[in-house]
Amino acid sequence: MTKSKGSIKAAFVVAFMVCLAEIPATAQTAAARPATINLPRTADGKPNFNGIWQVLNTAASDIQDHSGQLGMPPGQGVVEGGEIPYQPQALAKKRENLANRLTADPTEARCFLPGVPRATYMPYPFEIVQTPDSMAIRYEFAHALRMIPVNGSKHAEGIPPTWMGDSRGHWEGDTLVVDVANFNDQTWFDHAGNFHSDALHVVERYTMTNPDHVLYEATIEDPKVFTRTWKMSMPLYRRVDKNVKLLEYECVFYLQEERYKNAPFK
Amino acid sequence: MKTAAVLIAIMLLASTASAQSATSAPVKASTSARLSDGQPNMQGLYTRSGVKALEAEPPFNPIDPGDKNPLSVSNRGDGLGPYPRIFGEGGNVLRGQQARVQRPTGIIFPADKKLPWRPEEDAKRRQYLLDMNPPKDLRHIELNSRCALPGLFEGEDGNNPYTILQPPGQVVILYDYNHTSRAIDLNRREHLGKNIRLFMGDSIGHWEGNTLVVDTTNFNGRVAYSREIPYLSEDLHTVERFTVVNENTIDYEVTIEDPKLFTGPWKVAGAFARASKDVESLEFACAEGSQTLQNIFGTPPAR
Repeated sequence: MTKSKGSIKAAFVVAFMVCLAEIPATAQTAAARPATINLPRTADGKPNFNGIWQVLNTAASDIQDHSGQLGMPPGQGVVEGGEIPYQPQALAKKRENLANRLTADPTEARCFLPGVPRATYMPYPFEIVQTPDSMAIRYEFAHALRMIPVNGSKHAEGIPPTWMGDSRGHWEGDTLVVDVANFNDQTWFDHAGNFHSDALHVVERYTMTNPDHVLYEATIEDPKVFTRTWKMSMPLYRRVDKNVKLLEYECVFYLQEERYKNAPFK
Repeated sequence: MKTAAVLIAIMLLASTASAQSATSAPVKASTSARLSDGQPNMQGLYTRSGVKALEAEPPFNPIDPGDKNPLSVSNRGDGLGPYPRIFGEGGNVLRGQQARVQRPTGIIFPADKKLPWRPEEDAKRRQYLLDMNPPKDLRHIELNSRCALPGLFEGEDGNNPYTILQPPGQVVILYDYNHTSRAIDLNRREHLGKNIRLFMGDSIGHWEGNTLVVDTTNFNGRVAYSREIPYLSEDLHTVERFTVVNENTIDYEVTIEDPKLFTGPWKVAGAFARASKDVESLEFACAEGSQTLQNIFGTPPAR
């Protein structure tokens, strides 16, 4: 009896150590995600991004490091390397935007569509809708919407510039890569006045690191405004609340209700 | 030690099994009749027709775009017409394949198209329409002009297509019109709590054979059915039936119950026709929603 008890204890120790060996180290980059994390997958074998996601940072206020102020929580920046490489005349424009942001921020002051990637890190949830040929992202903020064909199609030609860009997706292994072009120059990257021109080109990468987290990276290219490409990155967190559902934040409607409540004026 | 070997073997088998299911042959879902979760496949780009229709004896509508109406915006004579035609009010223009026209569309119940209005509510909405042009106040502006979400009935017949996507457990309808979208949850049985009010309502659905049945509540009392019915109440409850007829056609029927405004339900029928290959989905940002009111009322006081 004593001998078999010892054998069972040894078996548990070995089994426990095998399990420990399979637990990945915490600081993993996307490329080094161990194959043993089992992601939810769709019928066509891709990581299943369907669901509601949201950021937990304050990039919408300022994508760079910022201290707290009344009404604005502090945040560590999402810009890799910290610097946004403005051309000199563009830096002056950023400073002017910052000074005028209460009336000049197209999204906060006027409820215009936030563009990409700002829509990702607005402090509102968004829903990824994924099918094999076609994806969409529905944003609670201002019911912004992006359609993302994943069918090998190229950017549309001969259409006017857009607020949310023309998105075309493809897979690189388990990473969803979305190429976004044909922007207008009407959106800002944040409430701190960081901005772009109509030459903006964004490449997003969505990499699911475990079932409830996505590493989101956005490479920014705009030869009219910046001296080189630069990149933002941040985690997306799955909203696992019971019965969670995207609701409506009808920014334009609320703004109209406030500004025109005593209409007519003339 | 035999027990340890069994434990290790079990864990290795478990991880191998998952790896095998992840690498099994991919399903090309887009052309199959059934999707991976069993839903009939009705995905694609469609144009809608027939849903917006006049009731019998419609009230005088000062917003009407008809050329005969001296108050209509297209006859203002200040160069702002033909505003309604730009937004496709001129009729049901199907750019896609022609939907079948054998079925009746528009209001199909009651058959005489006389909606069962509560008389006092009918009187209120007729007065409301008169107060819309010139608009008495902000409330009497059409929601379409404000770029508000259209609810289930507005959203353009013909000129702005609809995209239907069906990830597992959902039917998602994306409107080009004002970049609207609806997510119809197939796995939820209860609506949201009654204090959440939405322009698009809260939709839960289930399949009955080839018919998607969608039950929607939690409306906010602001969405219109049409120009002549400029609002439905918070008590609105709709049941829609989307029937996959063939690979190019979805028949649509909606039962509208609004006990605050009507003494009984009424039904509307329409259809979705798969769009032809040259129809594209384009951005409809509706940025005018921030300018139209200033044009109508003048500049508001500074914030």
